[in-house]
Amino acid sequence: MGTMQFRRAIIIVALLTGTTPPVFAASPEDHWAWKKPVRPAAPTLKDSSITSPIDAFVRHKLEANGLQPTPPATRPQLIRRVTFDLIGLPPTPDEVDAFVNDASPNAYEKLLDRLLASSQYGERWGRHWLDLARYADTNGYEQDEIRPHAWRFRDYVIRSFNEDKPFDRFIIEQLAGDEAFPGDPAALVATGFNLLGPDMTDSADQAQRRLNTLNDMTDTASLVFLGLTVGCARCHDHKFEPIPQTDYYRLQAFFAGAEFRTNLDVASSDEREKHLLALREYDRLTQSLRDDILAVEQPHRAKLLDAKIAKLSAEAQAAHRTPPEKRNGGQQELVRETAKLAALTDAEVEKTLSAVELARLKELRQQLKSFDSKKPAPLPVGMGMTDRQGPPPKTHLLERGELSNKAQVVDPGFPVTLTSGRKPEPAKITPSSGGRRLALANWIAHADNPLTARVIVNRVWQQHFGRGLVPTASDFGVRGEPPTHPELLDWLATELVDGGWRLKRMHKLMLLSETYRQSTIAPQTTMEKDPDNTFFSRMNRLRLEGEAVRDSLLAISGRLNSTMGGPGVTPPVAPEAVKGAKGGWIVSPDPKDHVRRSVYLFARRNLRHPFLEAFDLPDSNLSCPKRERSTTAPQALALLNAPEAMEAAKFVAERLMKEADSEPGRIDRAYRLTLGRLPTNKERERAGVFLKTSSLSELCRALMNMNEFVYLD
Amino acid sequence: MQPLPNPMNRRSFLRNAGHGFGGIALASLLADDGKLFAGERDPLAPKKPHFEPTAKRVIFLFMSGGPSQMDTFDPKPGLTKLHGQKLPESFGPVKTRRGVDKNKLLASKRTFKKHGECGTEVSDWFPHLSKCVDDLCVLRGCHGDSVTHPESVYLMNTGSILMGRPSMGAWVAYGLGSENRNMPAFVVLPDPGGWPKGGAPAWGNGFLPTTYQGTLIRGGSTPVLNLDRPSGVSLEQQKRTLDFIREGNQDHLAVRAGDSELEARIAAYELAFRMQIHAPEVVDLASESKETKTLYGLDRKESAEFGTRCLLARRMVERGVRFVQLYCGDTNGWDAHSDLEGNHGKLCLQSDQPIAGLLTDLKRRDLLKDTLVIWGGEFGRTPMTEGTTGRDHNPHGFCMWMAGGGVKGGRVIGATDEIGLRAATDKTHVNDIHATILHLLGFKHTRLTYRHNGRNERLTDNAGEVIQAAIG
Repeated sequence: MGTMQFRRAIIIVALLTGTTPPVFAASPEDHWAWKKPVRPAAPTLKDSSITSPIDAFVRHKLEANGLQPTPPATRPQLIRRVTFDLIGLPPTPDEVDAFVNDASPNAYEKLLDRLLASSQYGERWGRHWLDLARYADTNGYEQDEIRPHAWRFRDYVIRSFNEDKPFDRFIIEQLAGDEAFPGDPAALVATGFNLLGPDMTDSADQAQRRLNTLNDMTDTASLVFLGLTVGCARCHDHKFEPIPQTDYYRLQAFFAGAEFRTNLDVASSDEREKHLLALREYDRLTQSLRDDILAVEQPHRAKLLDAKIAKLSAEAQAAHRTPPEKRNGGQQELVRETAKLAALTDAEVEKTLSAVELARLKELRQQLKSFDSKKPAPLPVGMGMTDRQGPPPKTHLLERGELSNKAQVVDPGFPVTLTSGRKPEPAKITPSSGGRRLALANWIAHADNPLTARVIVNRVWQQHFGRGLVPTASDFGVRGEPPTHPELLDWLATELVDGGWRLKRMHKLMLLSETYRQSTIAPQTTMEKDPDNTFFSRMNRLRLEGEAVRDSLLAISGRLNSTMGGPGVTPPVAPEAVKGAKGGWIVSPDPKDHVRRSVYLFARRNLRHPFLEAFDLPDSNLSCPKRERSTTAPQALALLNAPEAMEAAKFVAERLMKEADSEPGRIDRAYRLTLGRLPTNKERERAGVFLKTSSLSELCRALMNMNEFVYLD
Repeated sequence: MQPLPNPMNRRSFLRNAGHGFGGIALASLLADDGKLFAGERDPLAPKKPHFEPTAKRVIFLFMSGGPSQMDTFDPKPGLTKLHGQKLPESFGPVKTRRGVDKNKLLASKRTFKKHGECGTEVSDWFPHLSKCVDDLCVLRGCHGDSVTHPESVYLMNTGSILMGRPSMGAWVAYGLGSENRNMPAFVVLPDPGGWPKGGAPAWGNGFLPTTYQGTLIRGGSTPVLNLDRPSGVSLEQQKRTLDFIREGNQDHLAVRAGDSELEARIAAYELAFRMQIHAPEVVDLASESKETKTLYGLDRKESAEFGTRCLLARRMVERGVRFVQLYCGDTNGWDAHSDLEGNHGKLCLQSDQPIAGLLTDLKRRDLLKDTLVIWGGEFGRTPMTEGTTGRDHNPHGFCMWMAGGGVKGGRVIGATDEIGLRAATDKTHVNDIHATILHLLGFKHTRLTYRHNGRNERLTDNAGEVIQAAIG
């Protein structure tokens, strides 16, 4: 389709569907985002004291619009803002004091360095990535089975952020870690990224199930890494973007050879060797014991099981007698439904044994148990992808996206609109791989890709400033919103690449800027001239996410367990919140696990944690580019009445009793712990009056419900 | 009290009245008062649909598990004739969950009779509901896309068999906001025996803001999560604490003038307090007469539980809740793979009188004319037998009915083939049913959209046609 035809078609479609026709550049093919960013020179300003290029770009726009930047935030405001921003927790009163009293010229920079070096940085920024990666610990749909190894991906992400892994490597590992870094267990775990979406394991149509997963990984990789909304092209040529349907399936073909694995061996060679040696030793020590046990049990066991299965319906019998890997969806369901009827307990087996046999069995089991300490722990297993043996299956263009409507075969290829004038490097072929995903990863992670660097710097900017330079963070297409500061975006993108794709460096650049350090409270004229803060004439006042609210409650009450990593944990919740849900709410047995950071909470796809949900925890089924920020009554009820809040209030009050010995002292300390500052005289007085009729714990509950507790200046 | 046009003025009024939370006259906090609280940034502020609607609210009676059409609202004498034979070759291959396509055909054991002026045939499992047929528009040619429960539950609730899209109730809350800010816009009353297969995403918000997801409501004194004051906190204490919060927030706002989010959050606390007072009243049935309770079957042990939820549904729509969804049947519900007679018999006994009571009660209160009531499950069941007494899943043909809200009563639209296997004439896909529901609520279904990841998403995706015969 020619350019003019394409534009006309789009306008006609827009008119027919009642939507606003997009405003085009010269043509959709000439859209700004398809062109590689060229590093612009920072504008020169009258004010020569501006040294940060970020400030130069922002100030230039401000001046052009007759605006002044807002003076900087106070130090207590700034340390609270940036501590939440980088590690998702409030600064302690001591940390505030240290920063406020630090007279050295680089006090703020030292603060940034400390926060960026903290392992809590990865827990905070990893969570942002998990939103994009639609992370959850279960499969969803009816069974919502646990993905016992998904957490390794969560830990991989946290570790990658903490290590400041170059972002290009981070991309390659997630799309093709198995191909690019064979033998590196972390890179294998990284490929789990592609499989994190919901999965109906017992689907009636397993071919459709695989296609659903392929669609999900194609859509998600495009959204997350390229800010490209290719999903519409699955069923037809994209109505608004220059993405024909062939492009969709050419992209999908990169993934076609992959095997979706839930049981990948992700042990290091060292771990494996040790494990093998230990296992051999255990086997050698226990061989004769295990043989003896089997000899006693097996005849009875087989007979009992057979008898149980024979009592089931004909369909269920057939299902049970079909080897597990050959059962179809209906048979899997039948086996699951009748599993209890066909299960054997040790007690049942024992009942059929003679007294002599039984005594012998118990004796043998006892002996075997004494070797348990010699048994090696199982090797780590992960979710991820490897390539299937042999040539990858053919990828067909599917009419209307339907598996039953196969059209022409397509080969892997990049979107035509993004490849003008540049050929990707040929993929390195390793023995275990077709090299397809690696070719895609290398193309995406290449400095010449027009989108990749822009998309990630924009996400970082969005998180720091509350709004991206491109407000539609996962949509850089023709229909996405254009950047408010295109030169700044391109400068940041090239700066990222030139700096070795290191994100910590980008954080520092942004956070050191005067733009970031502005107050949220601007003069009236600024508010009138820039009501939506399009020009960053002040700092946006941001609300904490649910995780930061919950983690704060734990931190200020001195209960936060800062243990990192490992399988997800589940704290108790109000039983009525989860009554009736399949599988119930299985609370972690160790109470210490109930006070871990929110990023480690077990994430059920079918049942979100109610407290986090009230604070806009996104649905984990689709990639989430930006959290909602609602202010609702259920949210107020949660922070007022939920056990999480009430408990925190009690513990903070206890802490106050220990840390201050007078009422005025306790009031001051309460404000410092909850709001990061001393009370004003008026507040001190009000709190004093309040405490005449109310408890200290009520004062803490009230402070934790203040707007100031969840909104950052 | 004169309504104050500007929400800020109203808030100033509350503030300046100087009573704090404790002093707000409760009489002024009832139902329609909530309408005044709509801040412009309030996601649940009441909104107008695209055109004048005939339905202002919806009650969706979801028969979880998939009720059989040929034993309820779709008589099939043709099936009775072929009873005991295998499915004739002429029907071609059929996809079912448990592979029953080669099994024998199973006639219904029910008897069907014509009822009402319209003469719509209904099975003898519905002695009460059959008296309401002149208000029912029965859709006998429904069809969906999947033979499994969760996919079909998602399709019926979200328009897609894939997990994670917004539910219909969430779309309605997004499109219309809430009429009564003391209550959520979208309420779900799950079966106490367990949630449907597919779980909470059936009433989820998907990519819409969380505000729009279904709120679970239970009976008793704490119908909404966290509604109760924490134990050990008296009402007086709660008021003192809320007053302290409000005063602190006002000082905080004073130097941050014009921040509508901060204002909205102050309003949210006022609303939360009013919900604590108001919501328990909504679920308190003490004021309902004995006659009304009997009408809903509360005096019979089989129907008392579901009847209570039907009565709660009426009380909620009366108070401005936009979308109420009731689940009938526990996690397995109507999923009669065996002993269909026993399974359906029990569930019909449980639900027939309450549903008829609901329709009757809505009608005599003049609410049925603009309240849309929908009955149906995620799919129907096969004419082929499973085992000897059950039926397998059937998304190829099933029935639903709608009543009230501008729907033409006493009609039957569409038909399955002679044995009830597939929708055959005037077929209505689930997307068409959704388009019709949105139409009755005043929406052009193609225009109720939300932009997500670069796409203007909608409940009916790329499909959906309004069922004209049901409304014209």
